[in-house]
Amino acid sequence: MQTETEIQSGGGQPVRCLLGMLGTDVHSKGIRTIAQLLRDAGIEVIYLGEHNSVKGMASAAVDEDADLVGLSFSSAAYVTYTRQLVEEMKRIGAQDIPIMLGGIIHPDDHAELREMGVRGIFGAGSTTEEIVEFVRSMGRSQ
Amino acid sequence: MGELADSILAGDRRAAGRLISQAERRDPQAVEDLGILYRHGGHARTIGITGPPGAGKSTVADALITRFRKLGQTVAIIAVDPSSPISSGAVLGDRVRMMRHCDDEGVLVRSMATRGALGGLSAATGDAITVFDAMGFDIIIIETVGVGQSETDIVGHSEAVILLQTALGGDGVQAIKAGVLEIADLIVVNKKSTSGSDKMARFLRESLHDRPMRADGWDVPVLLTEASEDIGIDKLTDTLVQRFYHNSTQDRVSVTRRRQVAAHLTALADVEVRSLTKRLVAGDATPEAWQAVLERRSDPWTLSAQLFEKLR
Ligand code: B12
Ligand SMILES: Nc1nc2c(ncn2[C@@H]2O[C@H](COP(=O)(O)OP(=O)(O)OP(=O)(O)O)[C@@H](O)[C@H]2O)c(=O)[nH]1
Ligand SMILES: [Mg+2]
Repeated sequence: MQTETEIQSGGGQPVRCLLGMLGTDVHSKGIRTIAQLLRDAGIEVIYLGEHNSVKGMASAAVDEDADLVGLSFSSAAYVTYTRQLVEEMKRIGAQDIPIMLGGIIHPDDHAELREMGVRGIFGAGSTTEEIVEFVRSMGRSQ
Repeated sequence: MGELADSILAGDRRAAGRLISQAERRDPQAVEDLGILYRHGGHARTIGITGPPGAGKSTVADALITRFRKLGQTVAIIAVDPSSPISSGAVLGDRVRMMRHCDDEGVLVRSMATRGALGGLSAATGDAITVFDAMGFDIIIIETVGVGQSETDIVGHSEAVILLQTALGGDGVQAIKAGVLEIADLIVVNKKSTSGSDKMARFLRESLHDRPMRADGWDVPVLLTEASEDIGIDKLTDTLVQRFYHNSTQDRVSVTRRRQVAAHLTALADVEVRSLTKRLVAGDATPEAWQAVLERRSDPWTLSAQLFEKLR
């Protein structure tokens, strides 16, 4: 865990993680839970909540200088939405910002998502430790 | 060097985001770019929004964006939320209220965490203002964290400070106790459909009436809004424009600018002083000196004086 003093001395910088949901998915309990877990792990979460558009999500990632984008899905349409986001990020030249997925993601779809470039997939059974470790590893060490 | 500044001046939002992050972590590389950008600025009008947690600061900001966009103005928002003192993480949640503008190129929202700063803002607020001003945004809105009674850094950074109150937050005595009342250029009672709002507004007007006239001759108005319904926002915008006009006349420009530079300098110096303090306390005091204080052969006052002696 990082203390305030460490931060002030430049001994590590918080990772900035954009967190949001796309489309009409209403299952917001998961994203709220994960936002707090990440905060407690020293991450700066830029919280977008539910009902975002693909375009809004991508431009937020740019304007907020996010180190990574986290999407929460508990609805079936996640492959389509993720593809749209990946394409929009490419269009605006932000394809280097990593994307991770969490919520209800079926193992059958992992390969397709990875192929699109999704860097982290945390479906049912993922532990907080794995998630936090992944998010921390996405911080830029410049 | 200076490449980020060039990209930013060409309108590159990614570069702007990067530079602000560098400034947030006090990366020495940021200084040159910020210096270049500073020389291009000085045109944006700055609005501060402060008030207790949940009063509706982000919602008012959102409504103001809509209004200013209708007037053809571009708007940048700096939205500050607190860092956890325990984990140093944060949930930056102001942006959620402004998502209806996410497809609008004329609007840019940047969320920032306080990262240990205590005045209600991030230490890099002045730096972010510098960036957005250089990019040519007409209006810069700065939202503070939900304030208690003493976080008043906003006053230096903006030429029109809006203090939000609601009838839910105490009976008005809280409002006069709070140091933040003195810094307000405009007072807004939001969630006006809440019962007690009119009484609250009346109380605030009376308290203001009892105070001596302000040095700048500005009469602090008390307005009522229902920000979530866009009610009262036209009047608020008109009053802000009047405030800008007031600042542009009566030789107020230099006063406001000076105040802004002072706030920016103070924020930068604070960071330096804090790290110096830390070095003095953690590094410069010898183990023997510590031991002497611990065993009460010496005392904190003596040790502090010894440490600062070196600086003089
Ligand atoms: C509560 C609930 C609802 C509530 C949601 C309230 C709310 N505000 O969240 C209500 C009643 C509204 C609801 C509605 C529906 N629901 Co529902 N709902 C559930 C239920 C019972 C629990 C979900 C929950 O809150 N879990 C608790 C949270 C904390 O867990 P979590 O979401 O998994 O999140 C954790 C992790 O996944 C992870 N995580 C989550 N997001 C992210 C993101 C990242 C980046 C990372 C790293 C990690 C991460 O972190 C969290 C903490 O550990 C589940 C069944 C179940 N037991 O899971 C069904 C379930 C999700 N619902 C389901 C369905 C089908 C629906 C409806 C379509 C039902 C209908 N036919 O009308 C509607 C959806 C309408 C819509 N537009 O989306 C299905 C989804 C099936 C699927 N996707 O394959 C489920 C699985 C039930 C089932 N077995 O069929 N639902
Ligand atoms: N009824 C009503 N609700 C409002 C009004 N303005 C804001 N709200 C609601 O009040 C809640 C808090 O609003 P925010 O705009 O997030 O408040 P804030 O002051 O920015 O909050 P912090 O940044 O967390 O301190 C939200 O649920 C808003 O929808 C209003 O005029 N009337
Ligand atoms: Mg807010």
